[in-house]
Amino acid sequence: MSLEQADLRLGFIALNDCAPLVVAKEKGFFENEGLNVDLSREASWANVRDKVSMGALDGAHMLGPMPLAVSLGVCGECTPMVTPLSLNLNGSAITVSNALARAMRELDPEGMAERPRSAGPLKALIEARRKAGAPLLTFAVVFPFSVHNYELRYWVAEAGIDPDRDLRIVVTPPPRMAARLASGEIDGFCVSAPWNALSVAQGHGEIMIYASEVWRGGPDKVFGVTEAWARRRPQTLNAMLRALLKAGAWADEPGNRGELAGLLSSPSYVDAPYDVVASSLVGSPSYAPSEPGPDSLDYIIYHRYAASFPWRSHAVWFLTQMLRWGQIDPSIDIAAAAEAVYRPDLYRAAAAELGAPAPLVDEKVEGLHVAPWVLDEATAPIAMASDLFFDGRSFDAAQPGRYAAGFEIGRLTPESGLGA
Amino acid sequence: MRVLIIDPDEARAALVAEGLRHVRPLEVKRVGSFEEIEADLERLAPDVIVIACESPDRDTLESLREATEGNPRPVVMFVDRSSPGLAEAAVEAGVAAYVVDGLSARRVRSVLEVAMSRFELMQKLRADLDKAKADLASRKAIERAKGLLMKDRGMDEDQAYRLLRKLAMDTGRPLGAVAADLLTFAGVLKGDKA
Repeated sequence: MSLEQADLRLGFIALNDCAPLVVAKEKGFFENEGLNVDLSREASWANVRDKVSMGALDGAHMLGPMPLAVSLGVCGECTPMVTPLSLNLNGSAITVSNALARAMRELDPEGMAERPRSAGPLKALIEARRKAGAPLLTFAVVFPFSVHNYELRYWVAEAGIDPDRDLRIVVTPPPRMAARLASGEIDGFCVSAPWNALSVAQGHGEIMIYASEVWRGGPDKVFGVTEAWARRRPQTLNAMLRALLKAGAWADEPGNRGELAGLLSSPSYVDAPYDVVASSLVGSPSYAPSEPGPDSLDYIIYHRYAASFPWRSHAVWFLTQMLRWGQIDPSIDIAAAAEAVYRPDLYRAAAAELGAPAPLVDEKVEGLHVAPWVLDEATAPIAMASDLFFDGRSFDAAQPGRYAAGFEIGRLTPESGLGA
Repeated sequence: MRVLIIDPDEARAALVAEGLRHVRPLEVKRVGSFEEIEADLERLAPDVIVIACESPDRDTLESLREATEGNPRPVVMFVDRSSPGLAEAAVEAGVAAYVVDGLSARRVRSVLEVAMSRFELMQKLRADLDKAKADLASRKAIERAKGLLMKDRGMDEDQAYRLLRKLAMDTGRPLGAVAADLLTFAGVLKGDKA
């Protein structure tokens, strides 16, 4: 079968989760598929979106919610996009400044001793500051349509904090987070690796909670192309997916994580100190200088537990968060949007060529598995991990409206007609 | 109409501002990053923000889509549906524009077109400068290589030049590169550190 296009230009942002693209390029997986790939480091997610939409890039490392938001026309120019593969699970965390952590500890030492940590101590501090007439605390996320925005909002809202009323949420590019926290311009942030570890290493911040604690095995970045691009170049896309699947498997081998940190830390990719990049790959980053993280490779997952499969239930979850926070209209057909963008069929075609196991179901219920389990509805059984949310909720993609309206804090009103 | 230019490249921003002088009535302010202007944005109240795509501030601008107390003027990315290809051309030129919702597309387009042409002009100027520098370096290497051949091989200038040209043709490489190699290897043979 011949490739429609061999020379490709793919975009990425400086984060540990761009690893499958970097590995596919540097370890020859793209080349083995006859692809000559040029990786282009982009300065913003908006650039990634526009360049892919307008054809200046063939595809890119994207925020999970982005292809959905662009396809729905709520983010940039409305362009149908597809997500044929996920790049990773987890990998982000919520960090606050030392000053904030200290104030939270003074008000609620018991809450600050818990793991996973709730935003209860933050709630106590916000109440105390309100009484004292202090200004709102400022938290930064990386983009309005990002898992980071939803993760931060989910975590704070569980403790009774309304992110739109009780906090000021701003957008800051990932590589600038640590500097803005150090200078006091922001009080906290939610960002992907390695930037939380950098703040801890520099002695300016403490990690409150990992994404892998908010929602074990929750989605993060994806690989995205336009629908038109995918339709016109099926063989090229299949070859790209094969290379990315192999690269993800390589990146998840425990013995390769050190080498991966070396590749990623280079100035042409993440451009951060090796130790900082490595701390989020060979284990979990320290919560604070005196509190090391658990010795687990699950802080970020590239391949294990069917990590690269584009679960439609992930798409639906992102859409429920857009609904919850008023980013999309409640009249949008959630299931249709998820089905148009998330394309497990494209994934299965690539996995089949490699003889790699692939799930045969498009969705899974999240938040039910306390312990590791086995996915039998697959071309070969796949070992899966726990998928719990820290607040004990579960999520069924078949009931998106009910789920989105089922939170005490959110922008959906009873008139939205979704709570029934 | 008030225009804010966000561009870490000061020279290019100046070029854009200069070009916009002819698009009246206009008030132009330029900054290197959004952070410099963030606190002042409400007072400045730009109608159009022209931003270099290489600036990381685009994501921050995207988050100003919703009108809030601190930002009463929602900002949207400018895409003119009546001009097919305009957005593609802007991305190609490395420039994006954000406008206050509801502004007339015709007026914004003239601003964007000036910005695009100045970005392209700057790129051409920089490319010309790089080429001029490379040409100069190559001419210097050729002069020095000729001098070396004249001194060590007793050739006259014309013979030295013809030898260099033959080497260039035989190896299919530019004359300047062959001359630079000759100088490097001559140094090694004389015992210089490679």
